[in-house]
Amino acid sequence: MAASCALLTQAARSQTAENSEQPLQLDSALLYYKENAGRVQAIEPVVSLKKDFGDLRVLDGTLTIDTLSGATPNGALPAHKAQTFVGPSSRSLTPKPGTKTTFYTASPGSLPEDPRFSETRVAGDVAWTQPLGLDDTVSFGGHGSVEGDFDSAALHGGLSHSFNEKNTTLSAQISEEYDRIQARGGNPVPGSDYELYEHEGSQSKTVSGALVGVTQVLARNWLMDLNYTYDHSSGYLTDPYRILSVLDGAGNVSGYRYENRPDTRGRQSLYWVNKVALGPTVLDISYRRSKDSWGIGSDTVEAHVRIDLRRGMYLEPHARWYHQSAADFYNLYVSAAGPLPTFMSADPRLAALVGTTFGLKFAVEAGHKGEFSLRLEQYQQRPHDQSSGLPELQGLDLNPTLKAVIVQLGWHFDF
Amino acid sequence: MPGPRFAQPTILLGLSLMLAGCSTLGVKPWQREILARPEMALTASPLDAAIDDHVYFSKEAASGGRSFGGGGCGCN
Amino acid sequence: MFLRGIIFAALTLGAATTIRGATDEALDLESFRGKVVYLDFWASWCGPCRESFPWMNRIQSELADNGLVVIAVNVDRERAAAEQFLDSHPAQFRIVYDPQGKLPEKFGVRGMPTSFIIDRQGRVRSRHEGFFLKNRASLAQEVRALVLIR
Repeated sequence: MAASCALLTQAARSQTAENSEQPLQLDSALLYYKENAGRVQAIEPVVSLKKDFGDLRVLDGTLTIDTLSGATPNGALPAHKAQTFVGPSSRSLTPKPGTKTTFYTASPGSLPEDPRFSETRVAGDVAWTQPLGLDDTVSFGGHGSVEGDFDSAALHGGLSHSFNEKNTTLSAQISEEYDRIQARGGNPVPGSDYELYEHEGSQSKTVSGALVGVTQVLARNWLMDLNYTYDHSSGYLTDPYRILSVLDGAGNVSGYRYENRPDTRGRQSLYWVNKVALGPTVLDISYRRSKDSWGIGSDTVEAHVRIDLRRGMYLEPHARWYHQSAADFYNLYVSAAGPLPTFMSADPRLAALVGTTFGLKFAVEAGHKGEFSLRLEQYQQRPHDQSSGLPELQGLDLNPTLKAVIVQLGWHFDF
Repeated sequence: MPGPRFAQPTILLGLSLMLAGCSTLGVKPWQREILARPEMALTASPLDAAIDDHVYFSKEAASGGRSFGGGGCGCN
Repeated sequence: MFLRGIIFAALTLGAATTIRGATDEALDLESFRGKVVYLDFWASWCGPCRESFPWMNRIQSELADNGLVVIAVNVDRERAAAEQFLDSHPAQFRIVYDPQGKLPEKFGVRGMPTSFIIDRQGRVRSRHEGFFLKNRASLAQEVRALVLIR
């Protein structure tokens, strides 16, 4: 008896040496993103490693590096006259002696854009998942990112419980994020006059989120997931670089104001996804409805179809349709007449718009345990309000359609 | 705007699915060969999903929505 | 009460369970009276099964002379998938094919993989849902205890 016990413990020890089949997985991608008209361009390498410690205990780590360049609209409207703006980084609460003030000009008829110079962001994510008994899973993790004017740190945790022979799974997650905003040149006092240049020091915001979801197996080839998310942001939510044009009754520019957003924002989302396998083909169809306390409502419909090409290759076309309504305080410009609105923003991301995406991914097996992929996507965002009745704004594209292209190279490998 | 009008019936659908789940919906544990395929995972390409989320987060007002449990082979 | 249910099911099963195996040999659990049976339900798509096979090989070779029979019931719908799995995870124990899932249904299998340890009198002594690396030693002790006590 004792001899066989010893034999088994030895066997067990040697077994751990020849452990799990896939102990380490690498997922990597190189993203190239480019907008039209000399706007934002980004190159982003991402590397993700997943280590399986056996028995469903997994450690996940991701590193993302983002380098951004190109111009961003500053929120002011184009005009028939040239407009000059001060480059934000040359503005400072404590200007160094000898610092030159930089300016940028929008020629007549063109959209004022802040020509930012190269910015780099580094972000890291770590997550741990493990079972809790036979039917439950627990996970927790953290996220952090740093860039010139913005730092972020977040923690999240979640629990899921399966029942009904694992056909139904309930999930709950909470997350907490803390961000620090230190805009180049200082954080402007929201709503203040652009010329007066009222700035303040470092600002912060917090985002708390919660998610509850149910995943249900509907058939041998059909799985669905329904999630409800609520998140609440509070703090400095204004974009420190965006301004609004102050226009008189005819549409002439009489000045500019920094934007001013409320210091809280609550948002609810309902997300529903269905995955259906039809032979070797897999359909992924999702719908998301979102609404927030700023008055923005949105609908997103998205579909992916994975078409198996055999010999380890597949093609995956993708289509997405997105619609959002404008924020209550969104406006193309602010009127010089009458009192200033409490909250105001001309940020195109808060406008009524429709975004459409068409994409195609091609993947091929690389050796026994790897996969190479190429993904091409085209995104087009068309705002609803692109013109105005004001006489001085005639013939101007006040909010141009955005076009962006994504090229992504991917490599997956199982060690 | 559809707002709460749409949310309510969808939440009810979700809840009734949850309750119905205890009876007839689903497959036997040994019938999960299709669900076990990696492409049938809820987030089959996590990197693509993360990259897309990042792009849309910086260009649109809504964001996120995904979660992490369920489906798959149901093993262990 | 639950265990009694399983035992009852197993006893009634013992009388009537005959399914075709790979080589058209009928699987008759009754015929294994006098031996300890480790009955395992597996599939090619079941991740933990990749770990259970080496363990089952070891336990089978260790205790074959003492009267242990490891029987692994495959529930794959496609035989080819099961055979591909066996190519990379060879089995030195008996494999039975049940693509229609009659046996797991009768045994009340609730998760994959599941194994039953059946004593020499044909009674189900325990069931194990899932296969965990951390439980390999204790599982082996359990099988050994049943096989070696007379």
